Amino acid sequence: MITWLRSGFSTRRSRHGLWGVPLVIAVGLTVVLTFGTDQFATRENLFNLVAKAMPLLIAAIGQLFVILVGGLDLSVGSVISFSTAILSLDGPAVLMIPAVFVLAGLVGLINGLVITRLNVHPIIATLAMQYILLGITRILRPVSGGEVPGIVIAAVQGNFLGLPLPVFWGLFAIGLAAKILYGSRYGLHLFAIGGGVAAGMDDAARNYGIRVERNIVLAYVACSLFAALAGVFLAGRIVSGDPNVGLLFELDAITAVAIGGTQLSGGVGSVHGTVLGAIIMVLLANGMNMASISPFLQTAIKGGLLLAIVGLQSRKKMGL
Amino acid sequence: MFDGEPACLVEMQSISKAFGTSKVLKGVTLRLRSGSVHALMGENGAGKSTLMKILAGVHRSDEGSILKDGKPLHLLSPREALAAGISTVFQEMSLLPNLTIVENMFLGREPLTAGGGLDRRKMRAETAKALAELDLKLDPDQLISTLTIAERQFVEIAHGIKAEASVLILDEPTAALNAADVDVLNRSIRRLKAEGKAIVYISHRMDEIFDICDEVTVLKDGQHVATRPISDVTPHSLIAMMVGRELSNLFPARAMTLGQPLLELTDFCASATARPFDLTLRKGEILGLAGLEGQGQQRIMRSLIGRFQPTGGTLRLHGQALKFPRPGNGIRAMARLGIGFVPEDRKEEGLMLGLSVATNLVIALHAEKPAFTRARGLGAVVQRMMDALQVRAASTTIPVGSLSGGNQQKVLLGRYLARNVKLLVIEEPTRGVDIGAKSEIYGLLRDFAHAGGAVLVTSRETVELIGLCDRLAIVHDDTVVTEMPAADATEHGILAAALTTNGVVA
Repeated sequence: MITWLRSGFSTRRSRHGLWGVPLVIAVGLTVVLTFGTDQFATRENLFNLVAKAMPLLIAAIGQLFVILVGGLDLSVGSVISFSTAILSLDGPAVLMIPAVFVLAGLVGLINGLVITRLNVHPIIATLAMQYILLGITRILRPVSGGEVPGIVIAAVQGNFLGLPLPVFWGLFAIGLAAKILYGSRYGLHLFAIGGGVAAGMDDAARNYGIRVERNIVLAYVACSLFAALAGVFLAGRIVSGDPNVGLLFELDAITAVAIGGTQLSGGVGSVHGTVLGAIIMVLLANGMNMASISPFLQTAIKGGLLLAIVGLQSRKKMGL
Repeated sequence: MFDGEPACLVEMQSISKAFGTSKVLKGVTLRLRSGSVHALMGENGAGKSTLMKILAGVHRSDEGSILKDGKPLHLLSPREALAAGISTVFQEMSLLPNLTIVENMFLGREPLTAGGGLDRRKMRAETAKALAELDLKLDPDQLISTLTIAERQFVEIAHGIKAEASVLILDEPTAALNAADVDVLNRSIRRLKAEGKAIVYISHRMDEIFDICDEVTVLKDGQHVATRPISDVTPHSLIAMMVGRELSNLFPARAMTLGQPLLELTDFCASATARPFDLTLRKGEILGLAGLEGQGQQRIMRSLIGRFQPTGGTLRLHGQALKFPRPGNGIRAMARLGIGFVPEDRKEEGLMLGLSVATNLVIALHAEKPAFTRARGLGAVVQRMMDALQVRAASTTIPVGSLSGGNQQKVLLGRYLARNVKLLVIEEPTRGVDIGAKSEIYGLLRDFAHAGGAVLVTSRETVELIGLCDRLAIVHDDTVVTEMPAADATEHGILAAALTTNGVVA
């Protein structure tokens, strides 16, 4: 545990990135907000924050998968809106919920195949998918409305064991991602592929017998599935379908991943760093709201923060 | 063939291989025996690595067959070769820097637990065992990026030495190792030999060959010269087998008189561990850096343009002391001083293949000017260079990538000649160039020197250096060990000098 903690701070090289930087910032923000404001450390505010953080956290974890192989998924926001739209269509929950994940998986599959088989750059391939899916979503549900199955609402709003239910959504996403990325052969192969790309040894992973294309496609599928999970969660929160709810979500997800110490060049990154990244973004927004900073200025501050934090944890600093 | 020798495990029969029009291997036969270390020797480009890549499943032979235990093998990929029990440690590094030693060792064949997760405990235990066998005191959970080059090389070797493999190919495994490391490696090789494995050992270090090998096969120009038990050969007889090509009248006459010193290096240290040396290049002279491949020739050359930082020494150009260029501004700074650099790989580092012949010729002239000056076509310059170099191209507007290798090389040379450089630093002046164009390029370089320029050149082809240069500096371990007039030099002499440290054949 202590060595693990140390690896986040020291310049000892680790492929989890220097996640000590976001840890310090997250703790620092919490301390400042707790003692600097009256409203922060209240039960309502904290429960509200958890619920707010969850969709970003889940989507960011999905984004982490593709970023680890040196890719990027810009269709995440559209997948989220699309998922809420599907759920708000008048249909039985047993059908609609699986449909969301099947369709999202299909989106990821198309993204992955276009990128690996047709050699389209990830930004272009997923940008195209973002437009396509946004169009379809607006056809399905031009303005927000419709009704989300009761079970989804019940799974998001409410408490269990004294904790808000969203906490369990987050733990599920974190546990699943950690299991896959750290404990499975597939996860190791994702790191290997990304590490090879970043080191300019594009064929290294292939020469070890790793099925590079297939693994990359699966990373995009995973990303879309996590986005769909975030979409289902959001649908439960807003109780209806909304074609704009996911707008620009992919950019926030990428920001959270980057703040968490993950290198966009691939092969270096962590789930815990990504979680910290999402937490920092939500804490910061909450703090700035309480300080009545204008939302426009908040956006600018977010950008500055991204630059500053990423600058602190460059690949070079880690010696990787 | 030899008394009491163990049975032949692998036989490569009359292997031929061509890349494009150049025949790299011509009917080479190689027999590997169990419990025997087989040295594969030859000059750079003799075909050793290609032969081994065929055995490792990286390349496929055009003709010939591979038999293992008498049964034919058809190797279509490295994976298949590994499955057939043939494991390779290549020269090039292939370890992934962001994974640990353990992860690299098992990548692509990770053991799984009953639950389907990675069996990290088993991986770690087996890695620790493999590292211990090589006397390596490394934490198996260390990232590759934290290791030194020598440690990486050892991990690469540990990775290649797989219990189930019966044939082990070691392609210059000691290139990054010091003497103590080599001893450790040799112990492992003897152990593997005792286990009955057939080992192919490629190395340029004579002492290792005689220390560890049982048999030796010599290749020259892609042809099999001889296979002998190591006890039947001496270092000198081996060198004699490796060299011995005829010099033709491919080369222009050498310089009669030399001018003032143009470039002077004093107490130059190419790397922290290298011995310092002095080197002077005069106007009108072509100086070659000779020696075995990868002994630091490139490092010395590229120190002059800022691609490497030498650890010590002074540089004088036209008698004027200068700082060594730094990576950021090296090329521009040296270009201003009249140094042109022609890199080894004209496709990767030299030409812009998609741009026209004309653009490639005058790009260096444009590069000297401020970024927003109008880029004139410089048609007259282009035409003058096309005529002077006799570049054969349908027009100057076609992409340079569509020209033949020889004409591409001439265009690259022309880029610097057009700029009136005083010193040309050239790596591999005629790589992948046909014989006619070679002769023309030698002529161009000699004319350049004759007109008062100076050339510093390196080449993998020793014959080329002997024929082209006025003087040769033999490089070994990042330092110039000796100099000789090219007119008196022989391949044998150069090879002996390069393999000789402290006056004895190593």
